[in-house]
Amino acid sequence: MIYNIVHSILREAGNINGYGLFSFILFFGFFIGVLVWAFALKKNHLNHMSDLPLDGGEKNSTDTIKSEKL
Amino acid sequence: MNVETFKYDNRIVRAFGIATIVWGIVGMLVGLLAAVQLFFPDANLNFQFITFGRIRPLHTNAVIFAFVGNGMFMGVYYSLQRLCKARMFSDWLSWFNFWGWQTIIVAAAVTLPLGLTTSKEYAELEWPIKIAITIVWVAFAVNLFGTIVKRREKHMYVAIWFYIATVITVAVLHITNSMTMPAGLFKSYSMYAGVQDALVQWWYGHNAVAFFLTTPYLGLMYYFLPKVANRPVFSYRLSIIHFWALVFLYIWAGPHHLLYSALPDWAQSLGMVFSLMLIAPSWGGMLNGLLTLRGAWDKVRQDPVLKFMVVAITAYGMSTLEGPLLSIKTVNSLSHYTDWTIAHVHVGAMGWNGFLTFSMLYYLFPRLYRTNLWSTKLANYHFWIGLLGMMFYCVPIYIAGVTEGLMWKQFNHDGFLQYPNFLETILQVVPMFRLRAIGGTLYLVGAFMMAYNLYRTAKAGQFEPDTEAQAAALEKAPVAAGKSAFHRMLEGKPLFFTVLATVAILVGGLVEIVPMFLVQQNVPTIASVHPYSPLEVLGRDIYIREGCLGCHSQMIRPFRSETERYGEYSKAGEYVYDHPFLWGSERKGPDLAREGGKYPDAWHFNHMDDPRSTSPGSIMPRYSWLLTQKIEVDTLPSHLIALRRIGVPYPVGYENGPAQKDLQAQADKIVANLKLGSVKADSDKEIIALIAYLQRLGTDIKSAPVTTAAK
Repeated sequence: MIYNIVHSILREAGNINGYGLFSFILFFGFFIGVLVWAFALKKNHLNHMSDLPLDGGEKNSTDTIKSEKL
Repeated sequence: MNVETFKYDNRIVRAFGIATIVWGIVGMLVGLLAAVQLFFPDANLNFQFITFGRIRPLHTNAVIFAFVGNGMFMGVYYSLQRLCKARMFSDWLSWFNFWGWQTIIVAAAVTLPLGLTTSKEYAELEWPIKIAITIVWVAFAVNLFGTIVKRREKHMYVAIWFYIATVITVAVLHITNSMTMPAGLFKSYSMYAGVQDALVQWWYGHNAVAFFLTTPYLGLMYYFLPKVANRPVFSYRLSIIHFWALVFLYIWAGPHHLLYSALPDWAQSLGMVFSLMLIAPSWGGMLNGLLTLRGAWDKVRQDPVLKFMVVAITAYGMSTLEGPLLSIKTVNSLSHYTDWTIAHVHVGAMGWNGFLTFSMLYYLFPRLYRTNLWSTKLANYHFWIGLLGMMFYCVPIYIAGVTEGLMWKQFNHDGFLQYPNFLETILQVVPMFRLRAIGGTLYLVGAFMMAYNLYRTAKAGQFEPDTEAQAAALEKAPVAAGKSAFHRMLEGKPLFFTVLATVAILVGGLVEIVPMFLVQQNVPTIASVHPYSPLEVLGRDIYIREGCLGCHSQMIRPFRSETERYGEYSKAGEYVYDHPFLWGSERKGPDLAREGGKYPDAWHFNHMDDPRSTSPGSIMPRYSWLLTQKIEVDTLPSHLIALRRIGVPYPVGYENGPAQKDLQAQADKIVANLKLGSVKADSDKEIIALIAYLQRLGTDIKSAPVTTAAK
């Protein structure tokens, strides 16, 4: 049934043949893999990663430099 | 723990920053000059080097590669050092990258107005410059990977992934699309012909947008936005999904530039579907950016850097929604060839790239000079005038685009075209062209304000050539076990990561391009299609030199509105000798695919001399220099040999005598035809070659099959 639904969607999208089906399956598999991978990551690792830009290692921080109205 | 002290190189960041400002202003000025010529064609002062067809590619190249390119290098050289906690791998390579890139830009600024062009959009530069680009890009890549290798931070932040994808993909695209056969120092012919050339070109063209204007800037967004907002990115998980989905999908979308063309249907459909799927990762990225500001919107009210960033990210969202919608075949049938596309790309260029570049400049200059921004007020004025400029640019051009599309398709009650004269549809939107120029001027004024503000900031501060930093040396730690071990290993292993990213970007290109070259049925041959005559080859070279395809397409789509206006729709087999293809992507004038035989030779002569003498109100520039400049007949042998080498069946030795005889005979015939139309002309003038080419266009399928080559 799922095959029929997917097949009909692709057919309606404009004469998609084997190339389209192959491409779709390839991407679908790839995308699911990335999702599983991303959600398997541990919270503390993600926190460490997202903090990376905030610590540039500079000895004299430039954080006091302003571009906004004081 | 072994803490090391080292220095970040700020000189290179400043150099790229200054280059960004200078080339940005130059690129916008050239764009303004081109825009003015669209409602005031004499603005070229009858000077061939600044005529629309030649400066349009100069504008696009200057803005993409000089303005955004330098902006990208500026941001990458600043952020990469800090994310890797290491100075750049080699100062020498940094400066080679800088001076090499500026030399290429200057070479482009000289050669494009001279008419030295391949005619392939965003890849117009001739082969010696293409080689220089490759060398400079490799230097950048070595410097980038070298820095990553000597980093002191174990994990590669997502911004670095985007930089790696950029470096790899731009190299692949540039090399594949630059395959040309030289026919002189500044002349070459694309190795590919017709449909295949079109597919490779738009695979390149689309992904130049994706991997030169988008991925590096997304990397910069992921670095600078958290930095300015002083908070981590909303979801690092989402950034991982954003990255992989985006790099995998983008590469497939190229064929959406060729919908309803002679490209096989399967390739068009793939391009459309993958373009639609692109909405998901693009919007994931946009939302990740905007949500990073949750709880910090008060800062946006005050900080001009954040203001520019918010508009940039919003513009990214708008153009990445609009792009997929324009890829739907039905929408594209209306929008393609119209100014709608121009408006779409300018939301991206002015909003996303322009505003993000401005925000980086406003962020970096005070820090490089260790002082506050000279005038927040002026930066705020820049923001508002830039935003207004963007609106005044884009809104009229959207209106123009939709108007053109609708007028081209409109039939009256009797079933005839409502507006059979193409010129009528263009004259209708000329007021919009005027408004657009006002918008462009406002945007440019904003850029001048920024330049002044940053100059005063630099004057007030003290430049810090090196920033001292400290970080622990990277020690080899065992790879963590568990579910996420694979990803953590990936982040720690740049080579493995690079291989995976390369595979992800290659898949789409291979699935689309390889069958196009291998499957014969994709380009059905037509027996009556034969190579261009020597005079037509030189005429075609002039057509390429003058950038005619900037306004005239050569691809009639299979719609009744097009076949009524232009004639039989275009077939793939008609273009097998077209090195390069000249389908174009924009119509400011009518399609020329079936121009041959439509008008007498004398009409073309008078039209090129003064378009308004034959078409009152026309916005086409005068090409009076074609009436006086001589055809470069001495280049003919090298051009014919180059074409033969890439598969055009000119007989061996044809270039040594027979070709020149054929050329003279055809030229004499045109001169005789002109005489009938009371026009006196010499057979050795460029206008004769151009007329020969124009009169040939689209006539092959009307003639009998020809067996002898070059006849």
